[in-house]
Amino acid sequence: MFHALVAIKQVPDTTNIRIDPETGNLVREGVPAIMNPYDAHALASAVEWKRKLGGKVTVVSMGPASFTVTIREAVELGADAGYLISDRKFAGADTLATSYVLAAVIQSIHEKDPIDVVFFGKQAIDGDTAQVGPGVAVRLDLPIITYAVKIRDINLAKRHIVVERKTERWTEVVEAPLPALVTCEKEIAEVPFAPLPDLIRSLRYEPEVLTMESTGIFDAEHVGVRGSPTVVFKMGTPPLPEAGEKINSREIGVEAAVATAFAKADAAGILSSVLGGVK
Amino acid sequence: MNTQDEKIRFDAIVVGAGLAGSTAAMMMARAGLNVALIERGQKAGGKNYFGGAIYTHAIGEVLPDFMDRKPPFERPVTEAGFWMLSKDGGLTKMTVQGGKLGAEPADAYMASRAVFDVWWAEQAQREGALLIPKTSVVDFIRDSAGQVIGVSTDRAQGDVYAPVVIICEGVNNLLTQKLGLIDHDLEPAHVALAFKQVIALPMDTINARFGLPDEKHGLAASVLGDVSLGLPGMGFVYTNNTSVSVGLGMMLDAVVEYRLKPYEVLQRYLRHPAIAPLIKGGQLMEYGAHLIPEGGYRDMPKLYTGGAMVAGDAASMVNALHWEGTNMAIVAGKLAAETAIEAHKQGDFSAQALSQYEARLKDRFILKDMKQYRNFARFLETHPEFMDAYPGFINDALGQFFSAYGMPKKTLFKNILGSLTSRRQLFKAVGDMLSMGRAVMGW
Ligand SMILES: Cc1cc2nc3c(=O)[nH]c(=O)nc-3n(C[C@H](O)[C@H](O)[C@H](O)COP(=O)(O)OP(=O)(O)OC[C@H]3O[C@@H](n4cnc5c(N)ncnc54)[C@H](O)[C@@H]3O)c2cc1C
Ligand SMILES: Cc1cc2nc3c(=O)[nH]c(=O)nc-3n(C[C@H](O)[C@H](O)[C@H](O)COP(=O)(O)OP(=O)(O)OC[C@H]3O[C@@H](n4cnc5c(N)ncnc54)[C@H](O)[C@@H]3O)c2cc1C
Repeated sequence: MFHALVAIKQVPDTTNIRIDPETGNLVREGVPAIMNPYDAHALASAVEWKRKLGGKVTVVSMGPASFTVTIREAVELGADAGYLISDRKFAGADTLATSYVLAAVIQSIHEKDPIDVVFFGKQAIDGDTAQVGPGVAVRLDLPIITYAVKIRDINLAKRHIVVERKTERWTEVVEAPLPALVTCEKEIAEVPFAPLPDLIRSLRYEPEVLTMESTGIFDAEHVGVRGSPTVVFKMGTPPLPEAGEKINSREIGVEAAVATAFAKADAAGILSSVLGGVK
Repeated sequence: MNTQDEKIRFDAIVVGAGLAGSTAAMMMARAGLNVALIERGQKAGGKNYFGGAIYTHAIGEVLPDFMDRKPPFERPVTEAGFWMLSKDGGLTKMTVQGGKLGAEPADAYMASRAVFDVWWAEQAQREGALLIPKTSVVDFIRDSAGQVIGVSTDRAQGDVYAPVVIICEGVNNLLTQKLGLIDHDLEPAHVALAFKQVIALPMDTINARFGLPDEKHGLAASVLGDVSLGLPGMGFVYTNNTSVSVGLGMMLDAVVEYRLKPYEVLQRYLRHPAIAPLIKGGQLMEYGAHLIPEGGYRDMPKLYTGGAMVAGDAASMVNALHWEGTNMAIVAGKLAAETAIEAHKQGDFSAQALSQYEARLKDRFILKDMKQYRNFARFLETHPEFMDAYPGFINDALGQFFSAYGMPKKTLFKNILGSLTSRRQLFKAVGDMLSMGRAVMGW
C-alpha cells in the first residue's frame, strides 16, 4: 500500500494582489485565498500514484483555522485525510520554524503509518523562498529531489522512485530510495476536476487539528516567533530596471560597436570580474 | 462510492444559489429535509450582479430575526424616486424622503450581491442545507413516466437524485427550456441588458454630493430622459456606504438593432452635466453587465411539472418598472419550498401535487402584480416618449415656471404648453397618460 504525504499551504491569490504604495505591504483585504498552485499540482501527482498503486494520501498544513478550506479542497482533489497544524504559538514562523514543525508532524505520522513519498510544492507563491521542502528533508534525513517535472516510477517492491527534474540546462533523471521527498513543478500533474462524490465528501470534511498540547511533540524553543531567527526589516517594490544604453551598429559599424560595447563593459568592471580582463 | 447501489440522494435539490435558490434551500432545510444547493460559481452569487436594493419585507418573511444576524447591507434607502435628465443638461428630481422611508429597519437596503448572496447562502447552510459549489447542473434525470427524479451535473459520477428539484437558475433559463416548461430561448425583445459601474468615493463626499446627512441615509433613484438615447430603457443611481452604483438597462433588441456599444452609452450617461459632478474623482471599482427578464407575465414559463418547480428570474418574475426582482425571487423560492415540504408530507411529487405552487403564487403579490403589469413591457416598446419627450418636457416646464422672464404669465403658460405640443400632440399626450394608466393597472 502506497502512502503519500503532501504539505500544502494556503496563499493569497497573487494574480490580483496590490502593494500599498505607502507602506510597501501587501493589501490582503479582499484578496481571495487559494491553495498554493504548486502544492495543488503536487497533490494531483500524489493522487494519481495512489490510484495506480492503491493506498492513500494524507495532507498537512500549518496555519490558522481559515486553512480548513484549503484542506477541504485537498480532500476534494482526492486526499483521504488532512491535518491542520494550528496553534497561536506557531504564528510568525519563518522557514526554519515552519520546517521544524512540519518535520515533527511528518515524523509522528510516519511512525504510526509509514510514508513512502513526501510531496512539497516547488515554492509558495507568497513567501517564495523554496526553503521549506529542503528544510524538512534535512531534518528528517530524507533524500530530496527538487524541481520535479515528472515521476517516472514509484516501485514499492524495490523501494525506489525515479523522477525527472528540471535544471536550467537540461532534464535530469534521478533515482532515490524510499522514503523520499520531492518538491514539484506544475508540470508534475494536471489538477483534476473532481468527481462529485469527492467534492461532497470534502464539503463535510473536518480535519484533525494538531496543537502544541494535543501532540506534545514540539519544543517551544523551535516554534513560532521564538524559533524564527529571520527578521523582515522592510518590504518594498523593486524599481523597474532602467533601459540600457543603445549602441547602434548601423551608424558606427559593427566593429566599432563591438569595441565600444567591450570597452564600456570593461570600464564598468564587468569583464574583469568574469574573465579577469580582456586584454 | 456512487456505484449503482450507492447513488447520491437528497430529499430535495435546488439549482442555483442566488436569492431564490438559497431561500428555497433554507426553508426546506429548516423543515428537516436533506437539501443539496448546487451552484455553478466558486461561491454563492459570485457571478450575480444587480443595481440595486434588496427589499426587507421578503427577507423578514423568511428570516424574522434577520437584523440580529447582521446582514451585509450597505445604506438603507431613505430617499427614492425619479430623476429626469434633459438634453440641455437639466435634472428634475422627484424623490421622496423620510416618512415611510424613515422606518427602521428600512423597506430596502443597498447591497453588493457578491457579498449579500454569500451571506444569504450561509443562512441556508446554517439550517443544514449542503451548498455544492463549482458544479453546473446540465440536465435532468427522469423516470419512465417522465417525472423528474434528479439532475446530472458536469462532474464525473455527477448524478444526484431527489424526488423534487427547484430550478432557480436565473435569467438564462436553459434548464427550464430543457424541461419543456417554455418553448423558446430568451428573446432580445424581452430581456434588458443592464450595465453599470461601481465608483468608489469617500463617505463624506457621497453625503455632501447627494445631500445625505450621514451614512445611515441613502438614495435609490430611477433615472429617465437623456439616458437611453430615446429608446426603451431606464437608468439608476444607488448610493452605497463608500461607493456609488450607476448604470442603465436597455432592451437587448435595441442594443442589437442600433449596434450600440453598452460602454459608450453608459459613458455618455455618466458625462451628463448633472451626473458627472456626482462621481467626479471617484475610482472605478467594477464594471459589469447582466440581463434582466422583462417579458413579464406573457413570457413566464409553466411553473411546475412532475418533480420540478421554477422560481425567480428563471420564471421571469421581475417587475421592471419598480426594480422588483429580489423580493419576487425570495418569496417565490419560499413558496416553492413550502410546496416541496407539503409534497414530502404527502409523499406525492406529481405535477398535480406541485400545482399548489402556482396556487400559492396567485395568492401573493407575485402573480397578482405580474398579471396586472402584463401589458407593461409592450407599452414601453410602443411609447418611447416616456423615455425621452416627457422627461424633457418636465425639465423644460419647471425651468420656465421657476424663471422670471418679465413676461405675462399667460404667455409663460402658452410657452409651456408649446413645449409639450412641440414634443407630442396634445390629444396623443392625453392618450399616452391613459395607456400608461391602463398598462400599470392592467386594464
Ligand atoms: C514577503 C515575505 C517575505 C518573507 N521572507 C522570509 C524569509 O526571507 N525567510 C524566512 O525564513 N521566512 C520568510 N517569510 C515567512 C514565510 O512566509 C514562512 O516562513 C512560510 O511559512 C514558509 O516559507 P515560504 O512561504 O517561502 O514557503 P516555501 O519554502 O516557498 O514553500 C515550499 C513548500 O513548502 C510547503 N509549505 C510551506 N509553508 C507551509 C505551511 N505553512 N504548511 C504546510 N506546508 C507548507 C508547501 O508545499 C510549499 O509549496 C516571508 C514571508 C513573506 C510574506
Ligand atoms: C442591473 C440590475 C439591477 C437590478 N436592480 C434590482 C433592484 O434594485 N431591486 C431588485 O429587487 N431587483 C433588482 N434586479 C433584479 C434582481 O437582481 C433579480 O431579479 C434577482 O437576482 C433574481 O434572483 P434569482 O435567484 O432568480 O437569480 P440569480 O440571482 O440570477 O441566481 C441564479 C443562480 O443560479 C446559478 N446557476 C445558473 N445556472 C446554473 C446551473 N445550470 N447549475 C448551477 N447553478 C446555476 C447562477 O450562478 C446564479 O448564482 C436588478 C437586476 C439587474 C441586472
